[in-house]
Amino acid sequence: MNNEVDNREQKKLVGVLGQFDDAHTLVHACEALRDSGVKKMDAYTPYPVHGIEKAIGIPRTILPWIVLSIAAGGLCIGLGMQWYTNATTQLLPFWSGYEFRISGKPMFSLPANIPVTFEVIVLSSAFASFFGMLVLNGLPKLANPLHRIPRFKRVTNDKFFLMVDVGDDKFDASQLRNNFSDWGATDVEEVFQDQTDWKLPAFLKTFAVLALVLMLVPPALIFRARGMTYTGTRLHVVPDMDWQVKFKTQTEGPLANNNTTTEFFFQDIRAQFDDLPGTVSRSDQSGDSEFFKGIRTGSDLHSSHTTPAVLASNQEETAQEETTATTEATAADEPDWVTTIPSQVKVDRDTVLRGQRQYNIYCAVCHGYSGEGNGLANNRAVALSTSGESAWTEAKSLYDPTVIDQPVGRIYDTITNGRSTMGPYATRIKPEDRWAIVLYVKALQKTRKTAVSKTTEDNSAGDKKDSGK
Amino acid sequence: MAITVDNLTNNTFEDPSRRAPLITGGLDNEGVTEVVADLAEAPSPPRIWWVLLAVSAALTTMLGGLILLLIFKGVGVWGNNNPVYWGWPIVNFVFWVGIGHAGTLISAILFLFRQHWRTSINRAAEAMTIFAVVCAGMFPGIHIGRVWVFYWLFPIPSEHLAMWPNFRSPLLWDVFAVSTYFTVSLLFWYMGMVPDLATFRDRSTSKIKKFMYGLFSLGWSGSARHWHRYEVAYTILAALATPLVLSVHTIVSFDFAVSIIPGWHTTIFPPYFVAGAIFSGFAMVVTLLVPMRALFNLKHVITVRHIENMNKIIMVTGMMVGLAYTIEFFIAWYSSNPFELFAFQNRAFGPFWWAYLAMFTCNVFVPQLFWFKKIRTSMIMSVIVGIGVNIGMWFERFVIVMTLNRGFLPSSWSYFRPTWVDIGMFVGSFGLFMFLFLLFCRFLPVIAISEVKGTLAFQKHMALAGGYSEDGDH
Ligand code: HEC
Repeated sequence: MNNEVDNREQKKLVGVLGQFDDAHTLVHACEALRDSGVKKMDAYTPYPVHGIEKAIGIPRTILPWIVLSIAAGGLCIGLGMQWYTNATTQLLPFWSGYEFRISGKPMFSLPANIPVTFEVIVLSSAFASFFGMLVLNGLPKLANPLHRIPRFKRVTNDKFFLMVDVGDDKFDASQLRNNFSDWGATDVEEVFQDQTDWKLPAFLKTFAVLALVLMLVPPALIFRARGMTYTGTRLHVVPDMDWQVKFKTQTEGPLANNNTTTEFFFQDIRAQFDDLPGTVSRSDQSGDSEFFKGIRTGSDLHSSHTTPAVLASNQEETAQEETTATTEATAADEPDWVTTIPSQVKVDRDTVLRGQRQYNIYCAVCHGYSGEGNGLANNRAVALSTSGESAWTEAKSLYDPTVIDQPVGRIYDTITNGRSTMGPYATRIKPEDRWAIVLYVKALQKTRKTAVSKTTEDNSAGDKKDSGK
Repeated sequence: MAITVDNLTNNTFEDPSRRAPLITGGLDNEGVTEVVADLAEAPSPPRIWWVLLAVSAALTTMLGGLILLLIFKGVGVWGNNNPVYWGWPIVNFVFWVGIGHAGTLISAILFLFRQHWRTSINRAAEAMTIFAVVCAGMFPGIHIGRVWVFYWLFPIPSEHLAMWPNFRSPLLWDVFAVSTYFTVSLLFWYMGMVPDLATFRDRSTSKIKKFMYGLFSLGWSGSARHWHRYEVAYTILAALATPLVLSVHTIVSFDFAVSIIPGWHTTIFPPYFVAGAIFSGFAMVVTLLVPMRALFNLKHVITVRHIENMNKIIMVTGMMVGLAYTIEFFIAWYSSNPFELFAFQNRAFGPFWWAYLAMFTCNVFVPQLFWFKKIRTSMIMSVIVGIGVNIGMWFERFVIVMTLNRGFLPSSWSYFRPTWVDIGMFVGSFGLFMFLFLLFCRFLPVIAISEVKGTLAFQKHMALAGGYSEDGDH
């Protein structure tokens, strides 16, 4: 009864509170109270006292059902999210998912989606049980008249309390006082609600107003920015890959004039290194058509570019279809191939030897060292295709009637751009070396056209000028 | 004050006619409250607390500095490189996540099994879980390269990135598993603490403490209706946390097992990881609680019996881990896969043989000491074995990750060497862990006060029925 504030006028009776020293007496008091017809009562204990639910008549909470339904929602959201983002395309006009193909596995396969679904279920139901408990309990509760009573502080320590609400039909303060004492209460008192409690402290009001005003500032700034044009560089909170610090190839770095930073770019402040030995430049292969393409300058530049088919395509039929299609096309409108080796290439023994070396590196695996089309890779692929394990078009013999008389330009083109199922070598062999290979191929072909003695003679003379048709 | 200073009753012997008490020293409800609240209410904590706090704060600062270095310089400050790309960060990650598991096991699984002894240790163990997961989550978090876009890990719709995570990747499962684990553990921990924070609120005298404890205890009044829903919610959370804790280390093991690397691609990984996690976690709990109970005068609440029970679990899980190590070798041989066999030979006899030896000794042989009752009830020995087990468990992850050093291509075989940053961060993570734990000891209820009172009530009830020894309860 020694309430902190003593202004009785301002106070409203809330209930009668009895204090008990142990759980047993409390439970008995609860039962007795309930027998006397009181309904609006509650016990306060330092730990959950078992059996008290029954004594007071607390119905079983619906919390488990709430959690169950949220868990079901979590299941749908977890699965749906994975299905939407990884297995659908353009289902919604915004934030659309896309088909996410991983190692040829199905787009949506339950086993792989279980872990994430499980975690989403657990997370959502954990939130549901915690916050559900709080909401059902009416917590957090900022003010409670009970906390004003000094004695009640021991409820979280070792004392037990029982309170009857003033709103109960059977409420009668003096009667209850007597009853409580009879049932073993060590102390009984009336609980009042202090009406002045409702007033917020003044500083809180100022604080709230200030916070509200400050909260309006960011949206105001955003709206302002949206409504005006801005010519400066874009602001990026998170520097993204779309806007990374970089320089295009073959340009000068911006630091060329102030030779200070060596950390970020190449030593000589270029944005790119010189060509490394062995790399094939493709950017400056225009202009000299005879040298770079094997086609006569001035002629109708009808390039014979054919998209090289995949070498060991799995679909034999398609491969063959393409082959025939290309052959027809090339027969119909052949470009004007050069028939002599361009002047940039020196036709001598060294070049032929270089051609031989390059041929042995790049071509012999399929066409064989002697050019008969019996290279190891070819033989193996043929064996595999006979047993039906893959599809393969045999590498042509270089002495094939369709090949043996081809102009040098066309062979050069075959190497550069590939021919039907043979792949292109433009990125791997330099133009000079391609011509050297052509020269070597022509030399090989000559061995089958002329008598042995003649070829030897030609070779030693080093005269290959006539290696055209 | 109902704290009596009589000698500790030996509550580690089980007499079939009278169960040994879990709370000793004749503590009653008020006594329990006071023992726990004393830590937070003492005007100044013991000097050793300050010393440890200073050391751990220094280490935490160092960790912060190293993280900044990593962010500014890039992941290259670590020793991670071909062929061991994951290096120490993943070793530390798995190590810390594993530590966390004991806390959830104690708070959830033992709760579902009605193990009353858990009430004295669950709060501290859960705190340990949270702090360990903080340390764990940090490592992959800073390993992602561009730390400032960490949120790309989550499926957050953004027009800007216009990309979704790959939901079939174990690494993504890991993101979900660890973040869910952290959140649920935090909720569980906090919810358990609400009534105890209310106790602190009702006892505190200073204005700041009153306000802070008042705020976080959410106006808890101990109403029977509240307790009813609270208990239901607590049981549901325990039921959720139980499969969760098993799933977390399972998914962590998927990071390895779903790949097709010899030595990693094995179905034994999930159970073996989970057993290892519980093993290391309990070792850590023992290592922390033994000094804590001595320093903060908690001997009557965290009794020898509690420590002994945990030591028994350590021994059991240690043998499970040992079995897994042996079976792995058998399966490698039985598979007749030369690469698999090589991977295991490389673990035990390759350049990292010393780590394998450390792992095997610490994890399989050292816990065997607990067969002796003298040793498992000796506080000093418990700590020594606990530390040994944690060294062993760190090396276990080390062995699994580092022995990638010999892959399919002998030309790229090499030896992994950590940089000083690797070592600094690992030490620093211990600093962070200790720092958080020390703050917890000083400012929060280290024992689940209300749950211990419930256990006391149960103990009393059993004593009346002739089941429990009266020693624990006058
Ligand atoms: C991977 C195997 C492979 C390699 C390597 C290869 N080729 Fe071929 N080549 C083929 C195949 C297959 C054909 C037959 C294409 C067809 O008829 O569909 C072919 C056809 C040719 C033809 C005849 C083209 C035509 O007009 O019908 C020539 C000439 C030729 N290759 C030269 C070369 C040269 C020179 C090299 C080395 C730079 C080379 N090949 C490397 C597989 C290869």
